Amino acid sequence: MSSILKLENLKVRFATHRGQLEAVRGVDLEVEAGTSIGIVGESGSGKTVMSRAAMGLLTGSNVTREGRITFDGKVLSDMSRDEVRNEFGTGMAMIFQDPMTALNPVRRIGSQLQESLRVRLGMSRKEAKARSIELLTLVRIPEPARMLRKFPSQLSGGMRQRIMIAIAISCNPKLLFADEPTTALDVTVQAQILELLTDLRQELNMTMVLVTHDLGVVAGNTDYVAVMYAGEIVEQAPTTELFANMKMPYTEALFKSIPNINMKAGSRLPVIEGRLPDPTDRPPGCGFAPRCNYAQDKCFTDHPELEVAKDGHLYRCWFPLGDSIQRKVS
Amino acid sequence: MRKLWSTLNLPSKISVLWVLLVFFFVVTGNFLPLLDPTEYDPDASGVGLFSPGHFLGTDINGYDLLSNVINGARISILIALVSVGIGGLIGSAIGIGSAYVRGKVDLVVNLFFNILLSIPNLVLGLALVAILATSVDPSIPIDPNRRVFIIIFSLTVVIIPILGRIARGATLSWVNREFIVAARSMGMKDRHIIFKHIVPNVLPAIYAVIFLAIGVVIVAEGALSLLGVGIIDGVSWGAMIGRVAGDFTYAPQSMYVPVIVLALTVIAFNQIGDHLRSQLDSREGKI
Repeated sequence: MSSILKLENLKVRFATHRGQLEAVRGVDLEVEAGTSIGIVGESGSGKTVMSRAAMGLLTGSNVTREGRITFDGKVLSDMSRDEVRNEFGTGMAMIFQDPMTALNPVRRIGSQLQESLRVRLGMSRKEAKARSIELLTLVRIPEPARMLRKFPSQLSGGMRQRIMIAIAISCNPKLLFADEPTTALDVTVQAQILELLTDLRQELNMTMVLVTHDLGVVAGNTDYVAVMYAGEIVEQAPTTELFANMKMPYTEALFKSIPNINMKAGSRLPVIEGRLPDPTDRPPGCGFAPRCNYAQDKCFTDHPELEVAKDGHLYRCWFPLGDSIQRKVS
Repeated sequence: MRKLWSTLNLPSKISVLWVLLVFFFVVTGNFLPLLDPTEYDPDASGVGLFSPGHFLGTDINGYDLLSNVINGARISILIALVSVGIGGLIGSAIGIGSAYVRGKVDLVVNLFFNILLSIPNLVLGLALVAILATSVDPSIPIDPNRRVFIIIFSLTVVIIPILGRIARGATLSWVNREFIVAARSMGMKDRHIIFKHIVPNVLPAIYAVIFLAIGVVIVAEGALSLLGVGIIDGVSWGAMIGRVAGDFTYAPQSMYVPVIVLALTVIAFNQIGDHLRSQLDSREGKI
């Protein structure tokens, strides 16, 4: 298997009036072609910024990006904006978090769907229309021909997200970033959209990067999982291995905060106390230490490096779970 | 069309009818069986309203007010439409462009708009006309056509920052929306994004302000005439006001006829602009 996307020491900084905000701090990630990887972390952990930076969608004048990004054998980080643009749509595409804002409110679904077909693939009006009906059928929208005439405001959230998916896959991308594709949707629709994405991925032979804050979403839909915290990958493993054998207390805490059907009625959902460290002023030690139930003195002073365990399992922790080291539980 | 009409309230309906009437006169004024607006009637100078042969009376020189007011609509509306059209186009292009590229360009453009906006419309127009419309030899009056051109140019300069700032503001509120990033993520070029994604969203805000701007320009044209730098020789509402500005006690209708027509027209344009803006607000809420 060859890697389709490779991030090497990716760093993203924003210049703010409070100083440099380091949103992504040296991420190394390799995504193998044909697989699906989940990026998990809480809000503000840098997962969205990382995926947008990987694609080169952060263009503000206050953004600096460092590191090497290789996509499909081409070094994206060395390419000009025009060259990178050629990879968009046909090479890689993105599904956005909020389908309410990711569609232009004043243009019909048809014209938004056909835009990339006509501009990027050079289709004629007629071809584009036929293809767009095909795409809408693919994302399981009933009466696709009628849908083309509608405006986004006439559709429900789930329908809009299907349209977004149809747009994203319209030029047959090799790599699909799905940035919290189900966060803005209600639970029943979430399941449908995830199932659709998984099916499409296999049908169209796409690689998928699924960004989410929900470990439950990752469980059935990905081959690998990378857990992000405070702009770093803190644990990475094949999905089954990760769930069977968590090393990082943060992953465990995330896992415990998934609501469970066996919970006693009226009992409180476990939450992770505290907040992410201030991104303009990172502490010297492990970023999770102040919130960690197992933190030792060393965790506050020394920054842990990614350690390699067996079966491609990586973790960033001085005192990983499942080790026999004695630790005082605070 | 019928559906559109039913959404209007009464003042807006009256305004639309008034504006349509004015436009009807703009188009047909030349061909209506009216007295020649440039010929004076020595037998009836300064006669009042509803005089035989002069429905709205005449001014002190005997010019027929009805035919002047109807024929004057042509130049007044032409000046307003041309200067708002050109000023709007230039202003919107600058505003949208600078808001899209951001950074230093935007900073400079915004500063430029703010400086122009800090000067009162009339003072700016007056200054431009005064500088540009002077003939080398004071004894030879400046060519009236050139004067119209200069007034249009000056009013265009007045309009550019007004519409420019609206376009800039509207663009800023759209340019960071997710659908712009989404379009970019599909490989759309900047030009495509501006014309297909930003302009259609910014246009409604511009439409609303264009009507308000037309009102501003009509007033400015009249005011410039009152100050003696507008159109004096031709046939326009401003010219009618300008000609009698010195003395209208003998024939007051010569002042209030053009002023009332001008005021009604401005109010009508403002009403339509306000209506469009309120429609826009509620639409924004529905999205």
